[in-house]
Amino acid sequence: MDGSSLTPTSPGTDRRTFHKIASVVFGSILGLVLTIPGAAFVLSPVLKRSGSSGDSGADDGFRPIAKLSDLEEGIPRVFPILGKSTDAWVRYPEEPIGSVWVIRKGKEVTAYSAECPHLGCAVGLGPDGNSFYCPCHTSSFGFDGQAKNKIPPRGMDSLEVKLAASPSGDDPEILVKFLRFRTAVPEKTPLV
Amino acid sequence: MFKRLSDWLDDRTGYRHLLEEALDEPVKGGARWRYVFGSAVTTAFMIQLVTGVLLMTSYSPSSSTAWGSVYFISYEMVGGWFVRGLHHFGAQAMVVLLFLHLLQVLIAGAYRSPREVNWWLGMVLLFITLAFSLTGYLLPWDQKGYWATKVATNIMGITPVVGPYVQKVVVGGNEYGNQTLTRFYGIHVGVLPGLLVLTLAAHIAVFRRHGVTAPEKATGSDPFWPKQVFMDTVASLAVLGVVAFFAIAERGAPLDAPAEPSSSDYPARPEWYFLSLFQMLKRPEFAGENEIIGAIIVPGAIVTALFAFPLLDKIFPRKLGHFLACSLVFALVGVAGLLTMQAWKEDAANADFQVTRAKADVARKRALFLAGHPEAGVPPEGSRYVLLNDPLYAGSSVLERKCLSCHYYDGKGVLERGHDGKMVMTKQIAADLKGFGTRPWLEGLLANPSDAKYFGSTPQLSGMAQWKKTTKLKPDELKTVTDFVAEFAKVGDEETIDDWLSRNEISEHPGLELFKKDCGRCHTVDAEGILGEGGEVEAPNLFGWGSPRWVRRMIRHPNAADRYGYLEEKDQMPGFGQTELSDREMSVLIRLFSGQYVPDDPATAAAGH
Repeated sequence: MDGSSLTPTSPGTDRRTFHKIASVVFGSILGLVLTIPGAAFVLSPVLKRSGSSGDSGADDGFRPIAKLSDLEEGIPRVFPILGKSTDAWVRYPEEPIGSVWVIRKGKEVTAYSAECPHLGCAVGLGPDGNSFYCPCHTSSFGFDGQAKNKIPPRGMDSLEVKLAASPSGDDPEILVKFLRFRTAVPEKTPLV
Repeated sequence: MFKRLSDWLDDRTGYRHLLEEALDEPVKGGARWRYVFGSAVTTAFMIQLVTGVLLMTSYSPSSSTAWGSVYFISYEMVGGWFVRGLHHFGAQAMVVLLFLHLLQVLIAGAYRSPREVNWWLGMVLLFITLAFSLTGYLLPWDQKGYWATKVATNIMGITPVVGPYVQKVVVGGNEYGNQTLTRFYGIHVGVLPGLLVLTLAAHIAVFRRHGVTAPEKATGSDPFWPKQVFMDTVASLAVLGVVAFFAIAERGAPLDAPAEPSSSDYPARPEWYFLSLFQMLKRPEFAGENEIIGAIIVPGAIVTALFAFPLLDKIFPRKLGHFLACSLVFALVGVAGLLTMQAWKEDAANADFQVTRAKADVARKRALFLAGHPEAGVPPEGSRYVLLNDPLYAGSSVLERKCLSCHYYDGKGVLERGHDGKMVMTKQIAADLKGFGTRPWLEGLLANPSDAKYFGSTPQLSGMAQWKKTTKLKPDELKTVTDFVAEFAKVGDEETIDDWLSRNEISEHPGLELFKKDCGRCHTVDAEGILGEGGEVEAPNLFGWGSPRWVRRMIRHPNAADRYGYLEEKDQMPGFGQTELSDREMSVLIRLFSGQYVPDDPATAAAGH
């Protein structure tokens, strides 16, 4: 590596050392000018928060999904959540952006996100008709949302529900605040 | 520990020998600054490789998504503008450096025996690079790339025999669209990088076989590391510095309005280093049948001559051959430079070019503004529709093309070339459409119907002027009637007169009786005559006046009995059916009149465009 077999045009180890150090330093600057913006570019989704899909609907985030009379006592029904959404550069008009399971006990209504808390598959009704069931990894939940086997890390994710009185009186509208949550962890953590 | 690990690694891979081979390569005659060009080009290519792969992670090659994804990269992603700026200016740096490298090799006579093959490999690299720039120019699918590519591929099609087939294969059919983009994308990110890396490897290998072409008097020798590496690194850093400077100074790379195949006057220009070829094609010598000479034969002859340089020594004495080669290239540079200057000068002096370019800039600014606006954005149908769905942009364009030969908008018609060749404003023979159907328009009409803005310039439309003379409405009553008529604009598409009249705010409206008494004398609204029996003077049916349904029928069937069918035929407005005015055009027009659009960007509006 010392090139002793050659006749250097610029003798002196000082200059050689300078050339070596300068090459490494300049080379590193070159690399950094490319990698730092490059890393920021790739990490864009983490660095930028506004890139979330799905707007919040009304200001408080509650969206109407059905009338109370659409539900029979104790029988869960699935409803689409309508909303405008942004997929990177594309702005979509209002259309279904997710689903919720809704179940009624008297005047009390409970809503669960249809996204499995295990790994995000769509939860449907179990073959017995008395439980929720995820077709991907067989997560099973009761109608109370509690896990019925060990596969999901937590119960189904309940969503906030509001009943809004309708102008005509006795058939209120069901409003649900739709959120997505982190999967595969025991805690229910909303994604922002 | 580290020593043992590296010993083991060396035993298994022999990496030290490889490294020594690479770094201790002797540079005959000593390290020199003039040898940095090859490395500088390679660095430029590395910048392209890194930024290109980054862009690939966010770019989407289809005619509906490409522009939007490039917009997203440039204006929404963190550092996106810089990465794309580096790629854009890096591409130009690569072309410039390649050319400087070529000049250095030429002047040094390094293309001659025994380095012929490397000269040819270098030529191949030059063409790969130009192919990169040609394919990359299209990828944003903006106006600039779209039209420039159309021209470039049409030139390709002039090639005798194979031209049309090659063109069809490259374009993916006769129409420019998704297949063109996916093909160009595949070529740009797959085929060309592969070819370039292979050819570059061969180029470097052959270079190593023969070494540098040192000046005759040079003695001694340096190992490649560290002196020449140092020089190469300095040059590389300078390259990156210049590229980054342009990227920052220009705030990234330009993005024109989304490609619009229906544009009638987009002033397409190629990238600046193709301008000389572009200018050459404008010369009368290459017009018509001679096009092929300018487009194919001359460039082909130049390329052939360049390829033949190493063979000149076989014909001429060594020095003469070198002299001829250098002279030819310098003459070419001179001519290309002249042509390029000419192209710039012509554009600068061409008023039409300025006008069309200014128009294109209005579209570009509007598209970028809308794409980032929370109430607009890029619609799912595709990037084109950013502008096509915009009442302000597309609506104004429809107005200009279809309405303003009779109507005015905001006090202006369109400029038309008169008999003497001068541009003159069209004569107004119908109402000013700015805000047509809105409350302010209505107020203006009722205040002064014979103003040119309303019916003053329209032949035969004197009914409202007569009303103005004879009406007994007091000012406050007139306001109440105006309130009532303004309600018509809210009539829904599916609403019948009975539905509407049963609405509380209508049946209890204080203006209803006044309307019946005063307006109802001429205007019939319903068959039963609840809103007046009409007939005093012929007049259109006002039910829904100013609502989309009224305006739509007015435009499609202006001569129907419930519109202006009573006018003499020569003074009637022509009807615009589906073929003359699409539903989309109708929709933007209606939204333009009613003001339902994202207002002009305050930044560009203030700049007074």
